[in-house]
Amino acid sequence: MAQQTTGTTQTSPQPAAPKPAPPKRIPLPTIPPELDALPIWTLGAPALVAMLKDPKSSLFQKAIACKKLSISGGKDAIPPMAALLSHPQLSCYARFGMEPNPDPSVDDAFRAALPKLSGKLQIGVINSIGVRRDAKAVGALAKLIDHSDTDIAQSAAASLGMIGGHEAARVLQAALGRTQAPVFPVAARAMLLCAEDVIVKDRAHGLALYRELSAETMPKPVRLAALRILNAAGPAPEYTNRWPAPTGEAAKQDKSGFLGR
Amino acid sequence: MSEKHGDVTRRGFGKTLAAATAAVAPAATVASAQIASPGPGQFGPVVVGNYRPVDQIVMGGIGIRSRGMADLRMLLGDDRVKFVGIADVREDAREAVKSTVDGYYKNNDCKMYRDAAEILARPDIDALLIATSDRWHGLMAMWAAQSGKDMYIEKPGAMSINESYAMADNVNRYGIVYQSGAQRKNQYAFEFAVGLARSGKLGRLTAVHADTAIGLGTVDEGGHSWWPEEKPEPDPLVFDWDKWLGPCLWRPYNSNYKDRGRGQFWDFHAGLLEWASHTVAMAQWAADMEHTQPVEYIPEGPNFRGDGLIERYTIRCRYANGIQLILRNHSWRLLGSCSNLFEGTEGWVEVGDSGRIEVSDNLKSLVPKKTGRAYDPTAEHLREFVSCIRSRTPPRANAVATCNTHVASHAAWIAAQLNRRLEWDPEKRMFINDEEANRMRSRAYREPWRAEALATSM
Repeated sequence: MAQQTTGTTQTSPQPAAPKPAPPKRIPLPTIPPELDALPIWTLGAPALVAMLKDPKSSLFQKAIACKKLSISGGKDAIPPMAALLSHPQLSCYARFGMEPNPDPSVDDAFRAALPKLSGKLQIGVINSIGVRRDAKAVGALAKLIDHSDTDIAQSAAASLGMIGGHEAARVLQAALGRTQAPVFPVAARAMLLCAEDVIVKDRAHGLALYRELSAETMPKPVRLAALRILNAAGPAPEYTNRWPAPTGEAAKQDKSGFLGR
Repeated sequence: MSEKHGDVTRRGFGKTLAAATAAVAPAATVASAQIASPGPGQFGPVVVGNYRPVDQIVMGGIGIRSRGMADLRMLLGDDRVKFVGIADVREDAREAVKSTVDGYYKNNDCKMYRDAAEILARPDIDALLIATSDRWHGLMAMWAAQSGKDMYIEKPGAMSINESYAMADNVNRYGIVYQSGAQRKNQYAFEFAVGLARSGKLGRLTAVHADTAIGLGTVDEGGHSWWPEEKPEPDPLVFDWDKWLGPCLWRPYNSNYKDRGRGQFWDFHAGLLEWASHTVAMAQWAADMEHTQPVEYIPEGPNFRGDGLIERYTIRCRYANGIQLILRNHSWRLLGSCSNLFEGTEGWVEVGDSGRIEVSDNLKSLVPKKTGRAYDPTAEHLREFVSCIRSRTPPRANAVATCNTHVASHAAWIAAQLNRRLEWDPEKRMFINDEEANRMRSRAYREPWRAEALATSM
């Protein structure tokens, strides 16, 4: 098939040009062999795990091994990566390798590392716990909401919101009553996440959380977000006498009493 | 309105609203249907911004250099906007923006910030122009949404599947107007092609093609990742390396990163989305599939190596209704960059950045005679964004459409990386029976950054 040119009559929808568009080329850099990821990237998981355990392995080798193990690592890859959670540069690589691994030992490892770390490295683990929605960590995170380092306290609140559920909501409700900025707005956003999770499973509890979040004391974006949900749910209880309540099947379905019936 | 549509809204805001409205129908049927229906159009009646209708919309910027500066100059020309501040980790970039803005307004009012958090905390700012590098887009969008600020944000919008969902969920959660920098959605030739497809003039649509010419090619040059030689870090007041790196994995500093940009490093690169942000977005629009993603991805190419090394490639994807989405970097009619081809049973149309429109013979009479002019539609795209801030309606490149474009493109990229056919469940936001692919849906953020989003299924 001939190369198509602009303006020619087309009868076939299939492009005929065999010549590929030339890819945009960047001059090839000179890669020092000790800093080339490709040879490491081609290794299987056992070799990568061995590389992590080998004290002679370089920072770069361990970093790339963690990246590849994020895709291929099994349960045996978790301990050597968890051992890097306290490493200033490699902690992020360890979490990168561990976070997507579905093995439950990842959660155990994050929980075990939590009290042993401080500062940003502890924040990283707190964040990973939130991403993995580890409900077993709610107790430990609850204690961290009052941490003197407000960055840690904020991360703990955020992760509780990501974990969701009734217990996390209870912890966040209590925190909203005693925390101040900069932790308070994060706790409010976390509660919003919690409410989003809770309302799907327990409408009455979810709506109660949204009602709390609609208070004027809440950060404006959070308050408005809560009001949008409440608006969709119908008029507030104090106004139910002025509006006709739903009847028929809809009324039967409403077990919450939210509409004051 | 199909319940089968497993779009972003079903897992996020849509489910929440569905739960909230579960027992109040039919009394609230109209309102809830307007808000909770799948796809774009979920902007509630609450005005989130600080502006009053008669006022100007107060805007700030984050991370504005070359592309962002072009956006900024067009925004300044819109009388509805007042630009008041810039946040950037680069001193030279901060000063360049201030110089431009102050020069335009003939004052010295534009404030400069090193940290984006400072501009996000300004209660007087209604909206943001965000044009950082790719690695920051998703997180910045989430922060802006959580701060109650509307945003025009350059593409690509997210670095991974999970970040795409987190971005859109946050935008929906906070009722924010979001416009991605997919400006071709306001370019005439592309609009015309999409119009042909959506109007039925192509017959039954069979395939939508997207030119994804670059992306894979740039990533492969340096292998999956490598580290240039470590150099002393600069003064953070001049160039804040830690914040520049942002949520990406740590690596030693080298000035080439800031001088040559995101370059060939996977850590800084959103894969196919360099062009797919535009072309897959147009294809999804043409196919009326902006609310979902394809369910099957088949990579076709001789050089897949698993580390990103691909030259000529085709990734054939299929929506649940059978329409194909075809991503390829070859065999285009040379109508310019970012081409799209839409095929139906009764005709086809192909367009590109040249502005020229090629169609099957039976459709030639529909093509306006005065076409063929290439032009930058960004100003129109920005105007649409500003209008939508006032109307609280979703712009064309809204967060839901952007999210689904990105999920489709990332999924195609993952299929290419793994060099195998993948099946995708849009409802569960998961690949079916492929653990490795599912693990590639996310990229863990470097500490201390976090997404504040409900995670997708593990």
